[in-house]
Amino acid sequence: MTLLPQHTRFRRRATFGALIFTLLAGPQAATAATAAAGEQPESACIQCHETLPDRLGAPVKLWRASIHAENGISCNACHGGDAKDAADAMNRTRGFLGAPKEAEVPAFCGRCHPGVMKDYLLSAHGKALGKGGPNCVTCHGNHRVVKASLELINEKNCSRCHSFERARTIRAAMQQTESYVVGIDARIAGFQAEGVDTDRLGKGLFAIRNRFHTLFHEVDVSLVKRESARIDAELGKLDLELKAIEDARARRRVVGGFVVTGLLLLAWLFHLLKKTYD
Amino acid sequence: MLSKRLYDWIDLRIGAREIVKKELTGYLLPKKINEWYSLGSVLMVIFGLQIATGMLLMVYYVPDPEKAFKSITFIMNEVPYGWLIRLCHAVGSNMMVAVLLLHMFSVLMMGSYKSPRELNWLTGFILFCLIQGISLTGYLAPWSQLSFWATTVATNSAAAIPVIGPYLVEFMRGGKLVGPPTLGRFFALHVAVLPAVIAALVGAHLFLLKRTGISTPPSGVQQSRNPWPVESYRYESHPGGIPFFPNYALQDLTSISVYFAVFLAVVFFAPNFLFTPDAFVPANPFQTPAHIKPEWYFLANYQTLKIFPSELLGLSVQVAAMTLLALLPFLDRSPERNPLKRPLFLVCSIGGILIWIGLTIWGHYS
Repeated sequence: MTLLPQHTRFRRRATFGALIFTLLAGPQAATAATAAAGEQPESACIQCHETLPDRLGAPVKLWRASIHAENGISCNACHGGDAKDAADAMNRTRGFLGAPKEAEVPAFCGRCHPGVMKDYLLSAHGKALGKGGPNCVTCHGNHRVVKASLELINEKNCSRCHSFERARTIRAAMQQTESYVVGIDARIAGFQAEGVDTDRLGKGLFAIRNRFHTLFHEVDVSLVKRESARIDAELGKLDLELKAIEDARARRRVVGGFVVTGLLLLAWLFHLLKKTYD
Repeated sequence: MLSKRLYDWIDLRIGAREIVKKELTGYLLPKKINEWYSLGSVLMVIFGLQIATGMLLMVYYVPDPEKAFKSITFIMNEVPYGWLIRLCHAVGSNMMVAVLLLHMFSVLMMGSYKSPRELNWLTGFILFCLIQGISLTGYLAPWSQLSFWATTVATNSAAAIPVIGPYLVEFMRGGKLVGPPTLGRFFALHVAVLPAVIAALVGAHLFLLKRTGISTPPSGVQQSRNPWPVESYRYESHPGGIPFFPNYALQDLTSISVYFAVFLAVVFFAPNFLFTPDAFVPANPFQTPAHIKPEWYFLANYQTLKIFPSELLGLSVQVAAMTLLALLPFLDRSPERNPLKRPLFLVCSIGGILIWIGLTIWGHYS
């Protein structure tokens, strides 16, 4: 008999015991679950900052409700550092950037949103950067970054710096397109949640929405109207594709209705036939 | 006629008429046999359909974490009728568990597990565990957020076992975390090991059924007590009973048709009844979805673990309950089979079922 090392023998016994337990408990035991499903560790930033008080802990809670959290963009994506190593997470040699100064914010966000940064810098807002004008986080929020939408152009936000009148006109010009974008987005999300391959449609909408969002920093009302009309036409093409999917699914339900009715009739027929033999 | 000549030709070679007489027209069943007895046939059809749809899915499915989700998306969207095959397989696995539970319920209520049918019950119970096992292993296959995290949660629970827990988790996953080795293991279990074991056990279950004979339903008959203790092997025949073919075969066909109507109604009208949106998002090990839950038939187990102060205690209670259920025919040795004449049994079994339903609902909303 071959002599096995102590730990190997223990492992074998443990595995055998585990198999016996699994057999007894069946898959019941295997499905046991804890509420804390996330066994995969969260980043070192979150693990540490979540436990800290006030301004050091608050960003985690704000971030959890952000579009960044929804898309899996964690702290280190913006602030740099090594999120896997708590000891060196905030080490500048590991790429930690910390919090940007006010004038650095557009460049900070623009690393991932270069197009938006360009639009912003060309806008009246961008031109006032460093002179009391707003930067990205003024309207979009910092840690609780909200999805860019027309909702951001509102009296409360705008009137912090100037009158809302001009912004109101621009917002009204883009409202129809915005509703169209939101409607198509919801339909794509609905189909995606049903297993439809919406990758191409999603990317198409993403590109159109980005084009639309470039208008958000624009203050020329006639340009906004012209461009919104062009975007509406492109959204119309996506709308047609979505209608085709809806039609196909409606046809499936009609076929399903016939099949289910046929099966129920068949069941009734078998039942009647059985009665003749009873 | 050609068909008669063909039948004669086959009969001459294998004695087909004799087999038909013995196994079909001459195979007599109890006069009072009811619809519940056809659930076994329904389960056989479901299992067959799962194998057929599973084989078709394997034509395009790729058991690789990089490709699994894309291959499922391709099946659902590009392969002709791929959506139908995949939905039949996914919905079918849930229906199989549901029908199996109904089958066990009928056996329980009619006392058909009692002596001399202990082995029928035991093989059926093991089949019940294996069906849940095959569902669990198949759950990981799409490599979606739902499947990835549900498997993480499920495998993690074994860590509650003292000493061997962590080794068992690693053994099941093939590593510290759910990853490519887990998919490989689960896929092999799902498509090769478990179907073969289930098929063998179904064979054993049917063999035992044929050797003991069909049990007489206890209701509507004067004598509902088992001749117990059994002194020697005896086949329970039913002289003057109804023939399996065509009489009960038509009942089987009725039940199978009703089953398919319900099953296809789910497939065509409410295919996402059993899925959450996370089922259609590719797995992301760095993003834990909120409110991840196991499948409905594991919700009671999930909730049991949560209500006990320690997971080990929760697991022990489940093991005890499952052991009790497995050994029921050896513990409940009273010869009476009519549930109305067994008030203690009725209270315990209905109470147990209500607790299971309550825990399932609680688990769903917790």
